[in-house]
Amino acid sequence: MDAFLAAGAAFLDPYLLGLVLVGTVGGVLVGAMPGLSSTMATALLLPFTLTMEPIPAIALLSALYCAGTYGGSITAILVNAPGAPPAAATAFDGYPLAQQGRAGLALGMAAVSSVIGGIFSVIVLIVAAPMLARVAYDFGPPEYFALSLFGLSMLATISGESALKNLIGGAFGVLLATVGMDFTTGVDRFTFGFWELSEGIHFIPVMIGLFAGCEFLTQAGQLDRVQVRAALDAVRLPGWHHFRQCAGTIARSCGIGTFIGLLPAEGGTVAAMIGYNEAKRWAKDKSLFGKGDIRGIAGPETANNAATGAAMVPTLALGIPGSATTAIILGALLVHGLRPGPHLFTETPTLLYAIFLAMLLANVVFGMFGLIGAKLFARVTLIPIRFLWPSVFVLACIGAYALEQSVLDVWIMVGAGLLGFVLKRYGFAAAPIIMGLILGELVENSLKQSLIIFDHEWLRFLERPIVVTFLALTLLSALWPLVSVWRARRAAAG
Amino acid sequence: MGMSQGEGGAAAPAARFPRDLLVAVAILAFCAVAYAITLGFAKAPAAVAQNVQPATFPRLVLTVIAVLCAALAVMSFRVDSARKRPVKPMVGATAVMMVGFVIAFDTLGFIAAMVLFAAAMPVLWGERRWRRVLPFAVLFPAAVYLVFVVGLGVHFDPGLLGIN
Repeated sequence: MDAFLAAGAAFLDPYLLGLVLVGTVGGVLVGAMPGLSSTMATALLLPFTLTMEPIPAIALLSALYCAGTYGGSITAILVNAPGAPPAAATAFDGYPLAQQGRAGLALGMAAVSSVIGGIFSVIVLIVAAPMLARVAYDFGPPEYFALSLFGLSMLATISGESALKNLIGGAFGVLLATVGMDFTTGVDRFTFGFWELSEGIHFIPVMIGLFAGCEFLTQAGQLDRVQVRAALDAVRLPGWHHFRQCAGTIARSCGIGTFIGLLPAEGGTVAAMIGYNEAKRWAKDKSLFGKGDIRGIAGPETANNAATGAAMVPTLALGIPGSATTAIILGALLVHGLRPGPHLFTETPTLLYAIFLAMLLANVVFGMFGLIGAKLFARVTLIPIRFLWPSVFVLACIGAYALEQSVLDVWIMVGAGLLGFVLKRYGFAAAPIIMGLILGELVENSLKQSLIIFDHEWLRFLERPIVVTFLALTLLSALWPLVSVWRARRAAAG
Repeated sequence: MGMSQGEGGAAAPAARFPRDLLVAVAILAFCAVAYAITLGFAKAPAAVAQNVQPATFPRLVLTVIAVLCAALAVMSFRVDSARKRPVKPMVGATAVMMVGFVIAFDTLGFIAAMVLFAAAMPVLWGERRWRRVLPFAVLFPAAVYLVFVVGLGVHFDPGLLGIN
């Protein structure tokens, strides 16, 4: 209770309050801009939060994260170009509604359902994270090794071109984490004589490169793209009959988004797709889906925002990111000298409550801004990309440089951007590589410690029930896409 | 393999080899090179390494990647792979500009590099209205300077031109 009051008192400071507001407005803006996602914005902003105290830094990033997830819906509805991947499903019915001259209603429903989903998930975060953290007290290195393997295996089920490619990307990220000095033995690995690499490849330049550098090149290939913008009437709150129509969808999507968010590696994009599909599946009259059904907005928007808070649960309680953006927030905690896990709850409870409050506040604020200022936020799409993206690239360079004030990090960022573009072209997503890079150290250290505990007898992993459970889940999640394909083929054949 | 749906839904001719097969072969070659590099890692005394040499974990990861790539290669024959549309020349030119910017950053200094980049990129991307390009080339670097150098105290090397 003391920690909660201390966190609440921290929000009386106009500086912290201002940062959360800035993060929220910034999040809606970057979320609304096609190509600029909250993940990228969090990655770009992270280096500049290093000089801040942990509470303002993490509160700012958390607010940006929450608001960015909602912001994507604005351009999904008005331009049919989702500002961020989690809003892709919102465009299915949002844009047709906008074309019918009901953009205001669509944006209103997006804002309200996002707030409901977001606040529900923060409540789940407040309740579930400490409970999960208490369970994690029983975890030793073998359990953490099995858990991190489970987290990586979940990459197979996230959206992307191929489950195998996601797993390869995750393993490649783990390999990148081995660059630098091996802390057990002091031996350099993959440093090629560069002493700067002895400390390893910092994940921030890689992350910025994979998201911002890669997108810069992607935009270069789409300069001839023309966006058709639907006219926007006044944004308005949905009426009671709309709520009655969507109540079941919103309730289901709260559950779906929270469950998906709780799973390691899964994020808002998967939640939104499932939220949309379930909204359609449960609807008695499906004929309007894809043509402008309001439930087609409530479903995905509730689900993707419900996933945001839930994704913070494994991130804070176990140190296993629940999504790409929470992987960056996890990185932010690490660079601020905080180790997520059960000790975070006993040693820095004020920080945790500050994060919870920042996320709650962000949800309320973006809801209000969404209803009042959507028309204004939609104008970000008018910024010419010929000026916007070069600016983003320069900011990306500064972000990579500012960390250590080293040009090598800028080279790493550019290299990661070029590599990311090539990988994207061949169906590899950036998020699994980031996940692998961030989890790599945990995987290696927990494996080494486990082997020492078990005197190098690998079978002794199977003596621990939690380890066996996680290994079974790992196997299941890694093989699930194959099973799904097989079942789909059988269904198609028979 | 006949015609298959390419990017953007347009029918594109099938590739001669499954695309993922080539990807898998390229990654396997990378794994082989990386594995060869691990052979050159120094060995730590047994008491320090505790039976886990510095090369052990990277080799384990490389093996996992190789196994996954083998699976990708096998599965590549089961999916139609359309020939990729060629990368637009503008993407290549932009990549060159990215590299050029970092070289200029390292040699001319950040501010000079930023002014050049802010002037050249919009032009490269087709902006011909100098009334827009010139203010952007001046105002954007000025804003960045104010926020990051003056406001946040980020130090940039002055470079050959000595602008800081």
